[in-house]
Amino acid sequence: MTDLAWLSVAEGAQLLRSRKLSPVEWTKALLDRISVVDPAYNAFLVVTADKALAQAKAAEAEIAGGKHRGPMHGVPYAAKDIFDVAGMATTCHSKIRKHHRAAADAFTIRKMQEAGAILLGKLALHEFATGGPAFDLPWPPARNPWNRDLHPGGSSSGSGAALAAGLAPAALGTDTGGSVRNPATCCGIVGMKPTYGMVSLSGVFPLTYSLDHVGPMTRTVEDNAILLHALAGHDVEDPTMSQRPMADCLKDMKAGIKGMKIGVIEHFYTKDSPADPDQVRGIESAIEILKKLGAEVRTIQVSPLSLWTDCNRTIHASEAYAIHERDLQERPEGFAMLTRNRILAGAFVSSAKYIKAQQLRRALCKEMAEATRGLDAVITLSSLLLPCKIDDTPEVLKTYDQQCRLVFNVTGTPAISVPTGLSKSGMPLAMQIAAHAFDEPAVYRIAHAYCEAAGTIITADPKTQPRLVAAPRTAAAE
Amino acid sequence: MSNGEMNPDTIRVLAEQHGLKRALEKFPDGVKGAAERGLRPVDAMPAGNSPITNPAPVFNPEQYERGK
Repeated sequence: MTDLAWLSVAEGAQLLRSRKLSPVEWTKALLDRISVVDPAYNAFLVVTADKALAQAKAAEAEIAGGKHRGPMHGVPYAAKDIFDVAGMATTCHSKIRKHHRAAADAFTIRKMQEAGAILLGKLALHEFATGGPAFDLPWPPARNPWNRDLHPGGSSSGSGAALAAGLAPAALGTDTGGSVRNPATCCGIVGMKPTYGMVSLSGVFPLTYSLDHVGPMTRTVEDNAILLHALAGHDVEDPTMSQRPMADCLKDMKAGIKGMKIGVIEHFYTKDSPADPDQVRGIESAIEILKKLGAEVRTIQVSPLSLWTDCNRTIHASEAYAIHERDLQERPEGFAMLTRNRILAGAFVSSAKYIKAQQLRRALCKEMAEATRGLDAVITLSSLLLPCKIDDTPEVLKTYDQQCRLVFNVTGTPAISVPTGLSKSGMPLAMQIAAHAFDEPAVYRIAHAYCEAAGTIITADPKTQPRLVAAPRTAAAE
Repeated sequence: MSNGEMNPDTIRVLAEQHGLKRALEKFPDGVKGAAERGLRPVDAMPAGNSPITNPAPVFNPEQYERGK
C-alpha cells in the first residue's frame, strides 16, 4: 500500500470503502507523523488527537456496518484556526483570541462532520488571516516544507505546509486576497477559491466580509473537487450565500479539454508587474501543454493589475478595520507588527474612497465578464515572485503586492492555483486557472487535464516530494 | 507633502480623531505608514465609467423576506 502520509483523498476513499484501510490506521499514521515532522514546520497550532481517534473509530464502525457516507468518510483533514470548532479556541493565531472558546461549530466544520471526515487539528495562519509570518506572537509561523527558511505563503500557511509535508491529505483555508492560493503556490499543492457565495462563511472569523471565501486545499485536483463538494451547500444563516446548487465538478473532470477556449491575461506578468523569469517559464510551458491537449488559447486584455490591487486593498483595509477598530484603539500592542500596520490603514480610508472602490469593483467585474465572453476559462500567474526568506519583512510585504490572485476576489469568480514545476532553486512554481461564476467544473476539468499531462503534483513517489528536514534545535525557542 | 510624506501634526490629529492616540504613542511609524496608505486616493476608473455610472453595492430589501 502507498505510504499513508502521501495517500490522496480519492485513493484513500477507495481503500476505506473496500475496507482495505481503516480510518483508525490512517489517522494514527498521520498523528504519529505530525508528532515527528511538524516541530520543523509548525503547521499545527493544536492537534486534536483524542477527538480524531474517537471520530476515526466511529467512522470505522459505520463503514463496517455498511453505512458509507461518501468520499470524505473516514478521511483525515485539518482546518485553519479561523474556523469555529465547538469547545475549542478559534485563536486566529492571535494572542488577543488565545482564550476564546467557540460555542458552536462553523457551518463548514459541521459539513465535514456530516461527511464523516476526521479532524486532526487546527492549523497556523497569518494573524487574523492578514499581515504576514510573525515572530512576535505566542506561536511560531508555519515553515515551507520545500525549504524551511523560505516563506510558505499565507495567510493559510499551516494548511499549505501540512499538505506539502504529508501531514494531512486535505485542509480548509480562507482566501480574501489570495490566502488559499498563495500557500498553494509556495508549497506546491492545489488550492481553490470557489465562487463567492458557494461555501458558507458562518462561524469563520471574518477578515473582509465582501471578499472572504472558504476554499479547499489538497495535493491533487480530484481531491480538491471532492473536498469542495463536501463543503458546499446552502446555509440559511449566511446572507452572502447563493441559492444556486453546486454543479457536479467530478462528472466531466476527466473528459479532456479538446476544443475548450482559454484566455491568457499575460500583461499582468509581462507588462504591469514583470514576474520572475522562472514563474514566466512555468506558465509558458503550461500554455504549450494546454495547446497540445487541444485547447484553443489566446491572450486577452483587462485593466492593469495595479487597479485591481487598489480596489481589493481599499475594500480590505476598510472592512478589516471595522472588525478590529476597538482592539486597535484599546490594545494595539496585542497585534503582531505586520497585522497591526496592515489593518490600521483602514482607519484613514474615507467613506468616499470606500464607495469609489466598490464602484470600481463593479466596473472591473463588468470588464472581466466582457473580456472573457466566449471563453471557458482564463489563466494567469499566481505569484509574480518566488518565495523569499521568511524573516525578510520588506521582501515578504513585496510578495503580497506582486501577485495576480486578488483579481478573482474582486470578481468573486472561481480560481485555482496548480503547480507548474520547480524553479532553478527547487521551489514550486504555479499558475491560476479561473472561470465564470459557478463554473467550477471548467476550472477543475482544465486543472486536472493539465496536472495529469504535466506531472507537477506531489504524489507518493519520493521524487515529487519536498525533502523534509528534522526539527532544528532552535525551533522551540522561536 | 507633495512626495507623499505627511506632517507629524496632521498624523497626530487624524490618529486622535480615530481614537488611535495609544497606537500613535506606541507605534508612531506604523501609524504614519498606515495613514499614508489609507489616505492615498483610488486610481481612476476604467474608461467609460465614472462615479455616477456605477452605483455602490446594491441594497435589496427583498433578500430579508426570504422564507416568509
